Amino acid sequence: MSDQRGTDGVRSGSGDTRPPDSPVITEPVRLLVPLVLTFGLYTAFHGTSSVGGGFQGGVVVAAGLILLAFAFGVTKTRDWLDRPAMVALATAGVIAIVAVAAGPLAFGGTFFDLSAYPFPKAVVYGIELVELGIATTVAATVLLLFLELAGGDDA
Amino acid sequence: MTPTLVSLLLVLLLAAGVAVALFRDPLAAVVAFGIYSLALAMLWSVFRAPDVALTEAAVGAGVTTALFLVVIARTSGRSAETVRSRSTVRGRSLLVVGAFVALAAWTVPALPAVGDPSAPAFQRVAPAYLARTPDLGVANVVTAVLVFFRGFDTFGEVVVVFVAGVAVLAVFRREVSA
Repeated sequence: MSDQRGTDGVRSGSGDTRPPDSPVITEPVRLLVPLVLTFGLYTAFHGTSSVGGGFQGGVVVAAGLILLAFAFGVTKTRDWLDRPAMVALATAGVIAIVAVAAGPLAFGGTFFDLSAYPFPKAVVYGIELVELGIATTVAATVLLLFLELAGGDDA
Repeated sequence: MTPTLVSLLLVLLLAAGVAVALFRDPLAAVVAFGIYSLALAMLWSVFRAPDVALTEAAVGAGVTTALFLVVIARTSGRSAETVRSRSTVRGRSLLVVGAFVALAAWTVPALPAVGDPSAPAFQRVAPAYLARTPDLGVANVVTAVLVFFRGFDTFGEVVVVFVAGVAVLAVFRREVSA
């Protein structure tokens, strides 16, 4: 539907100001993006009890925000999803996974042996924390890839 | 798992794959590639692999299409020349592709049936995963395998994704100061 339109949006999004897209594009996106983000977060958090996980959830969240960039312009999207924030989030996700995985070492377990934590349901909470880390890194990295590839040199 | 649906999806996959190869217009090829990914996602969900289907739909049809679109927009784009020129298929290429497909198709009868419980893949660690997962309090075996039993592999994959982001920043010579 919006392929031709999308390419134009990205092309002129790098640098110069462009007229806003027609409401035919922006209104459905405005309605759709909250649903996509909710579904993405649900997928990421609900991986232990239903389909999905951090990777899928992270990609769905990133795809929802990319949809926003197609409708409202890459430059505008980059204004609030700036590079330092994305890099910080991607790094934080990896560090969170390492922290959760290294924790069992303190309780006599091995690296990534989540059952060594002396809490009830430690494995479930451990898996969910790792999923959260995966989702953060994946979403931030996908957005970083998209915004860097779409952006002009002045970005 | 209805054979008719599977056959229809396979025909769609084949048609989309051939279309990607034959389209001269990059934009049309990207759209055909998105159709290919969606058909593949539907096939995975028919085969009851919803986790893989979700990944294929989100990554293959969603993010990859968007990345291709922005790259096309930033590079040559569609010139009237490429759009108008007819795609030609060389006889030699057709011969090599045909031989490769025939070779691959020759091995297909040796594969176990879909979902066959006596398949080699279900013999070694899979029963242990299935037996231990309920004790963990995790309902989705795929998640338990990914994050608990094979957590180290998944950690490596996340680092690969992270490195991809770092590589793009390095290629564009962008530096991030705190």
